[in-house]
Amino acid sequence: MVNTEGQLFTIEGVAAALIMLATAYIVVNATSVYTPGDTHINDMQLETLGCDALTIMNTPQNTSVQSPLQSMVENRDGNAFRQMYTSLLNNRTETGQDNVQFLANVSYVRSDGKTVNSTTALSMTRPLLAGEHAVRVTDLVIINTTKNYPADCRPATCPSGACNRTVLVEVYVWRG
Amino acid sequence: MAGLREDAQWIVLMGFLVSFSLFFLATILDQSVMVGQTTAEAVSEFPKDDIREIRSAIIESYTMPDHAAVQNDITVLALSRQNAIVTFSASSVGPYTLISIHYNNGVTAYNETWRSP
Repeated sequence: MVNTEGQLFTIEGVAAALIMLATAYIVVNATSVYTPGDTHINDMQLETLGCDALTIMNTPQNTSVQSPLQSMVENRDGNAFRQMYTSLLNNRTETGQDNVQFLANVSYVRSDGKTVNSTTALSMTRPLLAGEHAVRVTDLVIINTTKNYPADCRPATCPSGACNRTVLVEVYVWRG
Repeated sequence: MAGLREDAQWIVLMGFLVSFSLFFLATILDQSVMVGQTTAEAVSEFPKDDIREIRSAIIESYTMPDHAAVQNDITVLALSRQNAIVTFSASSVGPYTLISIHYNNGVTAYNETWRSP
């Protein structure tokens, strides 16, 4: 004769199996996100910081003078760039400095007006090592190329003698 | 269920409650990681700073006497280094200069008509 005592155990078994299946599903689902969400938040903060610092440097004090970034690029003044950018990135209200590193390049269109050279080093705190995770921030700067920097950027004819060109300052920013 | 005692029903019910609340907490934990990632990704991928710098460079270029090279540079640099198509043109309406700016990087499109003050 079959009795009904097994029903509760059956129900419990089915419930336990469902819960275990659901747990396994959540665990598998969670590990498929291979980059932790926190990395993106750090990237976002670093990108905002680097971009704001570049924007500050590319803002002139008034309309009749150049911005600091403009004159640094024109004169290829990597030391001034490193000093100003480092202090903007790393100064804190507390004592001690933050440890944000950077590597800055200048990209420009060659005088043919079509091809881009992006390897001209401007300044850096130290080289970017393998395994370090950097974000890229950029700023467009309009410069006067009469000082012949970047070398092959100066146009063949300058209609007004100003020889203005646009260059892109690209900076890799990372913590380390 | 004639021969069964009913004491165990409470135990089974509490077992269900505890397991479902655990399940619920695990789901919240799972989703919280995704929320942080997608929010930060959305902020990082929106080219706010690219648009701002291109826009200000275009407007500044129209104040220069020799803006042909400067403006060509903006288009070429945006295409090759920032993966974005940028077109712009200026027209005069009465005392004003209108500059229409179009930016598109495949994900974000930005269009603006700027009027000189």
